[in-house]
Amino acid sequence: MKNFIEVTELKKVFGNGKDEVHAFGPATININAGEFVSILGPSGCGKSTLMLMVAGLLDSTSGKVEFESKLVNGPKTDIGIMFQDNTLVPWRTVKGNIELQLELRGLNLKDYQDQIYNILKSVNLEDFAERFPNELSGGMQQRAAFCQAMIHDPKIILLDEPLGKLDAMTREKIRADFQKLWMVKKPTVIFVTHSIEEAVQLSSRVILITPRPGKIDREIKIDLPYPRDLKVKRSTKFIEYVNSIQEVFHKYGVI
Amino acid sequence: MKKFIKWILSGWMLILFFVGFFLFWEYSIPLFDIPRYILPAPSEIFLKGSADLDKLIYYTGVTALETVLGYIIALILGLGFGIAISFSSILRRTLYPFFVSIEMTPKIAFAPLFISWFGFGLMPKVIIVVLVCFFPIVLNAILAFNSLSNELTLFYQSTGASRLKTFFTIRLPAALPQCFVGFKYAAINATVGATIAEFIGSDKGLGFYISIVTGNMRPDLAFAGIFFLTCLGLSVFGFVTMMEKILIPWHISMKRINK
Ligand SMILES: Nc1ncnc2c1ncn2[C@@H]1O[C@H](COP(=O)(O)OP(=O)(O)O)[C@@H](O)[C@H]1O
Ligand SMILES: [Mg+2]
Repeated sequence: MKNFIEVTELKKVFGNGKDEVHAFGPATININAGEFVSILGPSGCGKSTLMLMVAGLLDSTSGKVEFESKLVNGPKTDIGIMFQDNTLVPWRTVKGNIELQLELRGLNLKDYQDQIYNILKSVNLEDFAERFPNELSGGMQQRAAFCQAMIHDPKIILLDEPLGKLDAMTREKIRADFQKLWMVKKPTVIFVTHSIEEAVQLSSRVILITPRPGKIDREIKIDLPYPRDLKVKRSTKFIEYVNSIQEVFHKYGVI
Repeated sequence: MKKFIKWILSGWMLILFFVGFFLFWEYSIPLFDIPRYILPAPSEIFLKGSADLDKLIYYTGVTALETVLGYIIALILGLGFGIAISFSSILRRTLYPFFVSIEMTPKIAFAPLFISWFGFGLMPKVIIVVLVCFFPIVLNAILAFNSLSNELTLFYQSTGASRLKTFFTIRLPAALPQCFVGFKYAAINATVGATIAEFIGSDKGLGFYISIVTGNMRPDLAFAGIFFLTCLGLSVFGFVTMMEKILIPWHISMKRINK
C-alpha cells in the first residue's frame, strides 16, 4: 500500500554555477496519515527547504513529492502552514486573522463562528479574540497563528519552527497546547525544529537530518504514551531518546 | 469638550512657544528699530492683510485648486504606475530605473519650460504640481508593494486564493503604511510646486500675489500671503494625515507617536 505522504529522492540546489548551494537531499521520507513527524536538524541543513517543497511552494531540483499518490506540482491548498515569523496581519484582530484563512479560501464565515470560538478557547485565547496581534505577547501570537493554520481543518499541517522565537518557559506551555489540539483532531503533522526535547516530546517519529546538504541520518520512532506531560518527560525512556539523539548530532560536531 | 481641554493642556508648551515667538517679533521691531519695509510687525501684517482679505481669499482658492488638482492626479498616476511596476517584471526593468534616474533631476527646473509651452493658465501649474508629487508617490508605492513578508506570500499561496482577492485582502492593506509615507511627502511638495510655478509665470494665485507685493516693497502683504499659503499647506498635509488615521488606524508607528 502507498503511504499518505511520499517524498522520493527529493533534492534542492539553489542557484547555479559558482553560486550553487546544495541545500537539501536527496532524501526519501514516507509518512502515514495521522502521524506527528519531526524533522530535526542543525540550523541551515535544509529543513525549511524540505518543508516548502513538500507544500509545493518551492520547486525541487529533482525527485518528487506525492500526497495520496497524487504528484505535487504547485502550491498545495489543503494544508495548514505556520512559520517562525507568524502570518498574523496587524490590521486584523485575532479573530479577523483566523477568518483571513477562511476568507482567502472562499469559505463561509458564518459556518465557522463556533469553531473559531472553540479553537481559541482550547488555547486559552477566547478573551483575546477582538485584540490586535501587537497587543499580544509572542507566545499568544504564536497560539493565535496556530489557530489560523488549523481553522479550516486541514488534513496536513506543516510547522516550521513555530516556537523558534519564544522563551523556554513559553515554549513548554505552548507545546502542551499544540499536543492537546493535535490529539483531538489527529491531523498529519510535519514539525520542523532544532530542539531535540521538543521533537521527542511531540512526535510519534523523529527524522534526523545531517548538516547541509541535509540527508536523512536515521529515523527514530518515539514509543511513549500521549499526552506527554511532565511525568513522561522525566521518565528514563524519554531521557534515553534525548541522549541517543544528542549522540548522533555530537558525532557530526554540531553540538 | 473634556478631550479638547486635555488636548489644549497637552499642547500648552507649543502654544506658549508660539505666543512667545509672536510677542518677541512684535516688540523687537521698535526695540531694534527695524524699518517696516524690511520686516513688519505681526500686528501690522494682520491689519494690512485684513484690508486685502478679498484678494487673499480669492488667490488662496486659485492656488488651492492647482494644488489639490495636481495632487489628486499625481495620486492616481503614482499609485497606478506603482502597482503596475510592482507586479510586472518588464516594467520593473524599464520604467522603474527610468523613474529613479528622473527622480534625481529637480523637477521644478521644468517649470519655465511648461509655462512657455502651455501659457499662464491653470494647466502648467497643475502639471508642475503633478510632477513634484508623482515621484515620491510612485517610488514609495513600488517599495510598499514589494515588501510583503516572505511568510505572508507563502501563506496566501497555500490558500489557493486568486490574485485579485489576495491583492485586496493582503497586499493592498499591507502596502498602505509605506504608501502614506509617499502621500505625505507629496503633500508637502504640492503647495511648494504650485507657489513656485506661480512665481515664474501667472496672473493670479498666492505665489503671484507674494511676488508682486514684494516687488512693491510691501513685506506686510507678502507675510499675509505667506500666512495663507501656510494655512493651505497645513490643510493639505492635515487632510492626508487624517486619511492615514482613518484608513490605517492599526499602523504601529502612529500609535507610538500618540503615546
Ligand atoms: N532562496 C534561497 N536561495 C539560495 N540559497 C538558499 C535559499 N533558501 C535557503 N538557502 C540556503 O539553503 C540552505 C538551507 O536553508 P534552510 O532550508 O532555510 O535551512 P534550515 O531551515 O534547516 O535552517 C542554507 O544554506 C541557505 O542559505
Ligand atoms: Mg528554517
